[in-house]
Amino acid sequence: MRNVAFDPPSLTVAAGDTVVWTNADFLPHTATARDAAWDSKSIEANGVWRLVAATPGTHEYYCVFHPNMKGTIVVR
Amino acid sequence: MSTYHSASTTGLLLGLALSVSGLTACSKSETPAVDTAATATPAPAPAAPAAPAITDAQIAHIAVTANAIDSAAGVVAKKKATAKSVKDFAQTMISDHMGVNKQAVALATKLGVTPEDNDVSRQLKSGADESAATLSGLTGAAFDKAYIDREVAYHQAVADALDKTLIPNAQNAELKGLLEKARPAFAAHLERAKDIQAKLSK
Repeated sequence: MRNVAFDPPSLTVAAGDTVVWTNADFLPHTATARDAAWDSKSIEANGVWRLVAATPGTHEYYCVFHPNMKGTIVVR
Repeated sequence: MSTYHSASTTGLLLGLALSVSGLTACSKSETPAVDTAATATPAPAPAAPAAPAITDAQIAHIAVTANAIDSAAGVVAKKKATAKSVKDFAQTMISDHMGVNKQAVALATKLGVTPEDNDVSRQLKSGADESAATLSGLTGAAFDKAYIDREVAYHQAVADALDKTLIPNAQNAELKGLLEKARPAFAAHLERAKDIQAKLSK
C-alpha cells in the first residue's frame, strides 16, 4: 500500500501461500474482501497484515477507508 | 487545532477559489485580461516581474489549516451524523487529516520553517467559522446531506489548490513531496464523498 493504492494491484499466489500487506503510506488502510470473507481491519502506517490464501479463485478486495483502492488476489 | 470549526460549502469553496485565482493571476502577469466592457482601453504597461506567488512557509500554513479544518469538521460529523456511511466517512477524515498534519508539522519542524499565516489560510478559516453556524443548526438527514455536500466541495477545492497552486509553487523538495503524497488521499476522499452523496440523494 503506497500513495493510496495497492501495489501491485493484482497478485497471483498458490493456495496455502501467505500474502503480506505492508502499509507504506502515512494513512491507515484496510484490505477487505468484497465478499467479506476476510478483513484486515485498520492497518496503521508502517503496519503489516498477513493472510493465508486458502480458497482458490479470484478474490477482489478494497480499502474500506479509501474505496477507490482496489486489488485482486488470484489463488491457484 | 480545536479552535477550527466545520466549514460551509459555499464560504469555503468561494474563499479558496478566489484566493487561488488571485495567486494565479499574480504569477502569470503576462496573461491578457479579457474585458469586453473596456475594449477601447489601451493595454496596461507590463507588470513588474512576478514575485513568487506563495512561499513555502505560507504553503505549510495552508496545508496545516486545511487539514485541521477537515479533521475538526469530522469530529462534529462523527457525533451528529445519522447515516452509518457518513459517520464512517467522518472517522476517516479525522484519522487521515490528522495523519497528514502530523507529517506536515514534523516536516516544518525539521526544515525550521515557521508556517506563516496568509490570505488563503485566513479565507479557509473564515469559511470554516461561517459554516459552523450552518451545520450546527441542522440535524438528522439534513445534517448528513449538508456535511457530505460540503466535503465534496471542500475536497474538490483543495485538490484544485494542490494541483494549481501549492504543488507547483513549493520550492523545498520535501514539502513538494509531502503535498504530492497527500494528493491521492484527497482524490480518494473526494470519490468516496461523491459516492455517499449520490446514495444519500436517492
